[in-house]
Amino acid sequence: MTLAWSPSRRGPLGVYLHIPFCRQRCSYCSFNTGPYHPAAMDRFHSALLDEIDLVGEAAWAGDVTIGTVFFGGGTPSLLEPIELETILDRLRKRFALDPGAEVTVECNPESLTRAKAEGYRLAGVNRLSLGVQSLDDELLVRLGRLHSSDDARRAFDAARSAGVDNVSLDLMYGLPGQDVARWESTVRGVLAWRPEHLSAYALTLDEGSRWAGEGVAGLPGEETVTAQYWALARMAREAGYEHYEISNYARRGFRSRHNQVYWRAEEYLALGPGACGFLGDVRYGNVKPVERYCTALEAGGLPLGTHEVLTPAQRKAEKVILGLRLSDGVPLAWLEDARSLVETWASLGLLEVAGDRCRLTEAGFLLSDSLFVHLL
Amino acid sequence: MALSRIRNFSIVAHIDHGKSTLADRLLALTGAMDPKKAVDQVLDSMDLERERGITIKQHTVRIPYLAEDSQEYTLNLIDTPGHVDFSYEVSRSLAACEGALLIVDAAQGVEAQTLANFYLALEANLTIIPVINKIDLPQADVEGTRRQIAEILGLNPDEALLISAKLGTGVPELLEAIVHRIPSPPGDPAAPLKALVFDSFYDPYQGVVVYVRIYEGRVRAGMPALLMSNGRVYEVQQVGVFTPEMKPVEELSAGQVGYLTAGIKRVADAKVGETITDNNRPTAEAFPGYRDAKPMVFAGLYPVEDTAYQSLRDAIDKLRLNDSALTFEPETSLALGYGFRCGFLGLLHMEIVQERLEREFGLALIVTSPSVRYRVITTAGETVEIENPSKLPTAGEIDHIEEPFVRSSVFAPTEFMNPIYRLAQDKRGEHRALEYLGKRVHITFDFPLSEIIVDFYDRLKSISKGYASFDYDFLEFRPSDMVKLDILLNGDAVDALSVILHRDKAYEKGKTLAEKLRAVIPRQMFEVAIQAAIGSRVIARETVKAIRKNVTAKCYGGDITRKRKLLEKQKEGKKRMKQLGKVEVPQEAFLSVLRS
Ligand SMILES: Nc1nc2c(ncn2[C@@H]2O[C@H](COP(=O)(O)OP(=O)(O)OP(=O)(O)O)[C@@H](O)[C@H]2O)c(=O)[nH]1
Ligand code: SF4
Ligand SMILES: [Mg+2]
Repeated sequence: MTLAWSPSRRGPLGVYLHIPFCRQRCSYCSFNTGPYHPAAMDRFHSALLDEIDLVGEAAWAGDVTIGTVFFGGGTPSLLEPIELETILDRLRKRFALDPGAEVTVECNPESLTRAKAEGYRLAGVNRLSLGVQSLDDELLVRLGRLHSSDDARRAFDAARSAGVDNVSLDLMYGLPGQDVARWESTVRGVLAWRPEHLSAYALTLDEGSRWAGEGVAGLPGEETVTAQYWALARMAREAGYEHYEISNYARRGFRSRHNQVYWRAEEYLALGPGACGFLGDVRYGNVKPVERYCTALEAGGLPLGTHEVLTPAQRKAEKVILGLRLSDGVPLAWLEDARSLVETWASLGLLEVAGDRCRLTEAGFLLSDSLFVHLL
Repeated sequence: MALSRIRNFSIVAHIDHGKSTLADRLLALTGAMDPKKAVDQVLDSMDLERERGITIKQHTVRIPYLAEDSQEYTLNLIDTPGHVDFSYEVSRSLAACEGALLIVDAAQGVEAQTLANFYLALEANLTIIPVINKIDLPQADVEGTRRQIAEILGLNPDEALLISAKLGTGVPELLEAIVHRIPSPPGDPAAPLKALVFDSFYDPYQGVVVYVRIYEGRVRAGMPALLMSNGRVYEVQQVGVFTPEMKPVEELSAGQVGYLTAGIKRVADAKVGETITDNNRPTAEAFPGYRDAKPMVFAGLYPVEDTAYQSLRDAIDKLRLNDSALTFEPETSLALGYGFRCGFLGLLHMEIVQERLEREFGLALIVTSPSVRYRVITTAGETVEIENPSKLPTAGEIDHIEEPFVRSSVFAPTEFMNPIYRLAQDKRGEHRALEYLGKRVHITFDFPLSEIIVDFYDRLKSISKGYASFDYDFLEFRPSDMVKLDILLNGDAVDALSVILHRDKAYEKGKTLAEKLRAVIPRQMFEVAIQAAIGSRVIARETVKAIRKNVTAKCYGGDITRKRKLLEKQKEGKKRMKQLGKVEVPQEAFLSVLRS
């Protein structure tokens, strides 16, 4: 039994692999992750290989190329290089992995050594995304992170000396007790490292996180969070970074190709518990609990959870909404039915029309959901 | 039936003093109602009457009564509403009678509508039988009530009957008093027909059913009936009496009360006060006619869904068939779309109409805040009547504005006098008279009608722990310093929120409205300025700051579906938004401000 749906073209496809373990849960985290045990990792690892095999049995599997691979989590850097290598090998065996494919691994600073970075690189990884979050040690403790700002710096240097020339850093703002100045000093700090790519997310407390449940004191107000967004936008621009997506910045030539698969509404495979995929006109997701995921595969079945067949209207809306997240914007023609909205937004300086394309401004990014709601 | 054995009477009283319960008892005691079928207040047949426990329409019923003199009498009883909004129902019922039972609750004493209805009965030259009810209640004060009947109403207290409508105590004696004290109707059955229309309703099968009191002559099916005010002639199809169900009879003759149908299509064609006669043998002189019920309170009614406009029109049309006091004309509002400006007898009437439209016709309605009819004297010397604030001529065209005043009675225990005077002052009341009645007072005030239609009664009840009662009647139009208060959102007036009010009240009202709006208007993409203004002068201002950020930072692991679902949910929320100019306001919240 393999997937009942198939990609609409031969690719390149993205692949998202979810590694569902962490050493400790961060205070703000609501992701699909659980405590790390070597035994649990082993069981999961072989289930994941089985999953690749099962999906790889699809008639179309041999025909599609894979253009990007992203190991997300959880904490993918808990994988030993050899484990990661077997995963990539299995992918290569079942699919045509483009030799130039972007292969990214999310890493937590405390679990990234030079040896590991090098092992990853030799296995075929060419991009690392480092969860720095902040350079403020006091905040790192509150966030429940297992690393200090020095650890982060060490991990970054390890990646560099291991020969990884494409490193992205993850940052968070809008943190409890974090004013604009404290945020600026983190940004200043990491920009000085000259990473190729930066992602910065304002803290949101989703259901399931400890802080959402227990509450947390000192969350900055909207004014502050907005000011932090603008501080980053300004500092990144001055440092030569392109603000190419709502939350992402890159030096020329280093946009994340994998993330752009999402924003361009292109297709990608899901592997691992709770991973989401998009093939043809179907958005689907695997079951979330690791236990159920493994059991399903051990019984020889796919661990599918939910799926939804998009209507043509939904597909169209998604393409616009996702596309507008990128600074490239979308063809103006896609917004034909929303002329007056485009005018209003343009008059408020939230949107720009240039030739036959239209795109959100940095101010527009900040209010994007208010626009997207009307484009559904 | 000999005239000498007919008695026509109404039961009148202050609200809740037990009129309908007494009617039950009279029906039961005379065997007119099968006790097995009996429910409490059986004559209150409308759903709304049953639910609210009040009478809204008059109800007529014919009761056969075997009196102690062994003669069988025909009693025509009319149960009437007690609420001030429906005093029109009382006065037209009285026009069909020779007598009235004036019920007074022994635990409450004489109250505002007791007095009002007493005057109505006096004006109609009726024989009044004072009846003290609810004597079974432990807190009943029979002696005190007797005194009040003497002092306030000037009736002979010894003539008051003591009853418990609930238990039936004293009701047999009351039946005898009706026979002995109320005169039998005058009239000559052989004379040309002269019938008074005192009510009517529309029946989808029979057309208009006309309530008639026959003063002269007789009427039966087949007779060509001439409606003297408009000259129309209809062939009588059926005559009958209410038992309380409609029961056809051979004929109705002088002195009797009943109904007739004659293929009349519209209630308006057989108005209250109309004289019906035999077209072949007309009576010499018609009754003087009767004033129309006049709407006093006005509000805009709009369908929540624009598409329901036509259904709303049809529904109001239908209600009007049986409710000639309800008036309406189309109006449009930028904020609310297409709707109707409707006129009502009072706030209870308005509530009832609204409830019926919603319930019986399944409509969802927006009702603007109620107002009254103003008279505008223009600089050109013309008089214009204004029921809708947005129709007010510009300040330059207005010479002055007159507003309706009412004369009102407040009855209350003396200890509540101070708060009542304070309330009256707050409501721009003018004191007219004060009368001490033992432990109670009767205060007469003149009030601007606009001040008492909204929260006056509730406040009066609450400051008097429920003991004060209130009644009013239109008095006259008086010049007042009225202004139009507009509410502007980013410079655009929200027409549905405009009100005409006294200058002294404008600041407070403007401030409250602006504050309320600020509380309910969600932040938008731009700053929203809320202003309350009289003409171009802003008297209150509030600001809703622009939203600073609304963004989904991340679609974790490519989970696009979750983001889309969140947006879809937000979109659902948008559907319940009202667009006021460029500003979006949640429908419900906007309605709550409208109602306030
Ligand atoms: N204890 C007691 N309660 C009574 C008596 N007569 C009426 N009631 C109660 O008083 C309340 C009002 O009675 P109704 O007969 O509806 O009064 P009404 O005068 O017809 O009221 P409206 O039509 O609304 O003006 C009801 O709860 C009755 O049960 C009585 O003799 N004794
Ligand atoms: S490392 Fe990431 S996935 Fe793991 S607990 Fe922290 S935030 Fe959650
Ligand atoms: Mg009643």
